[in-house]
Amino acid sequence: MTVTAPNARPGRWAVLRPWLGAAARLGLAAVWLFAGASKVGDLAASGRAVNAYQVMPYDLATVIGAVLPFVELALGVLLIVGLATRLVAGVSAALLVVFIAGIASAWARGLAIDCGCFGSGGQLAAGQAPSYLPEILRDLGFLVLAGFLLIWPRTPFALDGWLAGKAPEEGEDE
Amino acid sequence: MSSRKGQKKAAQVVREQIAREKRRTRTIWTSIGAAAVLVIAGLIGWAVFSSQKSKTYTAPPNANHEGTGIAMGQGQVTVNIYEDYQCPACKQFQDTSGSTITELINQNKVRVVFHPVAFLNRFSSTEYSTRASAASGCAADGARFKEFTDALFAKQPPENSAGLSDAELIDIGASVGVSRDAFSSCVKDGKYKSWTAHVTDDASRSGVVSTPTIKVNGRVLQATERTPEGIKAAVAAAGK
Repeated sequence: MTVTAPNARPGRWAVLRPWLGAAARLGLAAVWLFAGASKVGDLAASGRAVNAYQVMPYDLATVIGAVLPFVELALGVLLIVGLATRLVAGVSAALLVVFIAGIASAWARGLAIDCGCFGSGGQLAAGQAPSYLPEILRDLGFLVLAGFLLIWPRTPFALDGWLAGKAPEEGEDE
Repeated sequence: MSSRKGQKKAAQVVREQIAREKRRTRTIWTSIGAAAVLVIAGLIGWAVFSSQKSKTYTAPPNANHEGTGIAMGQGQVTVNIYEDYQCPACKQFQDTSGSTITELINQNKVRVVFHPVAFLNRFSSTEYSTRASAASGCAADGARFKEFTDALFAKQPPENSAGLSDAELIDIGASVGVSRDAFSSCVKDGKYKSWTAHVTDDASRSGVVSTPTIKVNGRVLQATERTPEGIKAAVAAAGK
């Protein structure tokens, strides 16, 4: 734990952490808002993108495909306002793990699809090769943001802090 | 003096405990609120999707029994072709093997069901896949489905463009011999758009995730089999 905060500069991490957290929070919010907005306009296509993974019956895939963009948008809004950040970060992390597992499984089964992470999805354009590795690495990056907020959910400019009044003492409540 | 100090300290401990308790309650309620927001968002998505799903559609004449494609030919072997008018690989298939398919239909060897799916709306700014597919239904109205399909593939717009305009679609329809007035109003009214949605939905349901997909008596052809020889061989094998 203390390895990252050497004794030589005890205050640095403590000063930096809330701002890193705020950046992670807003960054993850942007990811969710963008992901949701790119899919919400064509829910049928979103369902087909889910169906292209071939891991569930078509009817279930269409429901997931319709629900997912709205949940992503809601996650983005909750992160922006900073409400229940730890819970939202947990849900985000869980979703990202599911996405990564889905992409990895599509890769392992030799499917040639777009992950559908930000709109599109399903069939690739002519001559386009799947880019599973970059997609997984990108999602892992998002997972790091979610993990940071899961461990340190308290960030500046968040409703959480406003609701709690004064900032809690170190280590307490978090 | 010292007992007073003790009392003060005890009061402070109690205050802190109350504060901690309050904070915990607040955290629980915020979490419940946020979870409710997520659930409600999901329900909204479901509701929107359900309301978008049209339950009724009008299938054009010459559609198969299920209304999921246009049937041509009377042969014993059924060939299901799933294509998107925006899909370059479909155009390529039409260019190399379209005449073979026509030949097999004319030889009475196959019954072709052509499913004009709209998978690739995102590759045009005007939902060209849907408009083209719906227009092909209008062409089927005028008994020129095959001719219209061939003409559309010949004039396939590039991906990520606006696609062919409705006016251009109408011109193509008229050029293959459909009555211009009827075709024009059919295209402009979007008469077969709900049919396109039905065709696309059915294709996804039956496991078609990419175009072109060719099924010969239910068996999906590999990409390497999508040649004149490959199709003839597959039909011959299925006919035995």
